[in-house]
Amino acid sequence: MSAPDAEAAIVLLSIRVAALAVAASLVPGVALGWLLARWTHPLRALVQGLVMLPLVLPPVVTGYLLLHVFGRSRPGGQLWHAITGSHVAYTTTACVIAAAVVGFPLLVEAIRLSVSGVDRRLEDVSRSLGRGPLDTFFRVTLPLSLPGVASGAVLAFARALGEFGATIVLAGNVAGETRTIPVAVYTLLNVRGGEAAATRLVVASVVLSLAALLVSFWLSARRPRA
Amino acid sequence: MKLAVALAHRFPGFTLDVEIESAGPALGLFGASGSGKTTLLHAIAGLLRPDRGRIALDERVLFSRPGGVAIPPERRRLALVTQDPLLFPNRSVRGNLGYAPGAPARLESDAGRRILDVLRLAPLLGRDVAHLSGGERQRVAIGRALLADPTLLLLDEPTSALDAELSRDVLGLLLRVKTELEVPMLFVTHRAAELLALADDCVVLEAGRVAARGRPVEVLQRPRALGVASLVGVDNLLRLPVEGHDEAGGVTLLGLGGGLALAAPYCGSAVGTAVDVGFYADEVLVSLDAPRGLSARNALPCEVTAVDALGHEVLVGLRAGETTLRARITPAAARELGLARGQRAIAIVKTAAIHRLDRVE
Repeated sequence: MSAPDAEAAIVLLSIRVAALAVAASLVPGVALGWLLARWTHPLRALVQGLVMLPLVLPPVVTGYLLLHVFGRSRPGGQLWHAITGSHVAYTTTACVIAAAVVGFPLLVEAIRLSVSGVDRRLEDVSRSLGRGPLDTFFRVTLPLSLPGVASGAVLAFARALGEFGATIVLAGNVAGETRTIPVAVYTLLNVRGGEAAATRLVVASVVLSLAALLVSFWLSARRPRA
Repeated sequence: MKLAVALAHRFPGFTLDVEIESAGPALGLFGASGSGKTTLLHAIAGLLRPDRGRIALDERVLFSRPGGVAIPPERRRLALVTQDPLLFPNRSVRGNLGYAPGAPARLESDAGRRILDVLRLAPLLGRDVAHLSGGERQRVAIGRALLADPTLLLLDEPTSALDAELSRDVLGLLLRVKTELEVPMLFVTHRAAELLALADDCVVLEAGRVAARGRPVEVLQRPRALGVASLVGVDNLLRLPVEGHDEAGGVTLLGLGGGLALAAPYCGSAVGTAVDVGFYADEVLVSLDAPRGLSARNALPCEVTAVDALGHEVLVGLRAGETTLRARITPAAARELGLARGQRAIAIVKTAAIHRLDRVE
């Protein structure tokens, strides 16, 4: 594999990991975002705190905690092994889990804000017109929150692309398997003559992240009137 | 329709405790803001669970506590229309009208076409809800509720967000919904004229309790006894004898006493019988000089009996013959005219603004 091809593979792996992380987060993200927007229970603050934790924890700490859940001898890791027959740690799956966990708060927060912006009286009217709670959610609340869901997904995708700390702990640095852009840049900077390749990856990283941010801004500006 | 409601619900600082029975077909809930009428409507709709009570519609128990019955709003078959039309912004007019289960098919049926016809909705079908005017939005909201085929239509101040002319239009449509489509309704209002025009039966709420009930004309003509004078007082509600007709001119003359007559829209009532009419205080213009070349049929010489400033409006009492009229004008207009008690003035009222209240058929 020539050098630029190797870097293209790294970029593609990063995109694949980030996309899978967002895809896996969407359903629980929408559920939690809705819950945090509409639930008035005193426990709400605690749940919100737990969801937001990965945003403020050092990513390495998040990775360490994840390793305690998904390590080979840990319950999460054993459950995963029982279901899929493979281990989590030091695989692409580990990269996806790390990326999903750190991007999750951004996704949930965007959805929470978006759902909060939906006029509850619209939901009341929907109920009185004969549509049950679930029906109302899918016909009124979710469609009106979609711009927020989309912009949250793009933000989480951008965050997942840059994930390093939790990834290096949980997934390590396995070429072709867990070596995403940030891990590769870090590796190349420690290798004599790696600067050129590192620079190319840095440029790719900046372009991808900026593009994701622009898409996210564009999506939030398209918010429909609720 | 047969509605029986008895419920009690306590909020911080406010208690709703009411008992209502009505055979409709149009029941009005009348009261000032904060009297609990919207809360009561929400309890009937199922959007609020009262602490205790019972709600039954046509032998069907919708709520009972104790008793363990709480039918969710979507299974009560009571469609809600609110002051704010609350159209779904992600749907077209057709999408809104066809929102309820079964509504898309109903939209294509004869019954549906009749609803579209009465509410003049056919020309709006393809439109985007963002581009509708206020009156059009409220018509779509009423149509959307009717297409849910409710056993009782719930209306929460359906005209309050509209200006006087659009309010009249929507009120007229609701009358047609009542008489032509024969849909029973329960509506909340703080406008006496609306109550008189639309309701067969009414309940006056005051601070969470029933202050009066009965036929609207009877209830509102004894406002002082009911403590709702402040609500009724701002509008003109008059019981006047028929003095003569000008059928070709579309006018019936009602005696105001002192040789003066009020030109109301033509009605067939016999000379000498008393009829109830009402018009908003906003509809009465005050002039210092007798106007010339005026289309309004009524330019009544009168004496100013009261000039009361209430915030951003001024209520003017005007004695015409033996009848007192009320006009609502801006403080600026009152200042410019230099209105004071005892002064002579001319009260101008369009015939079309005067509504017959006791018999709406």
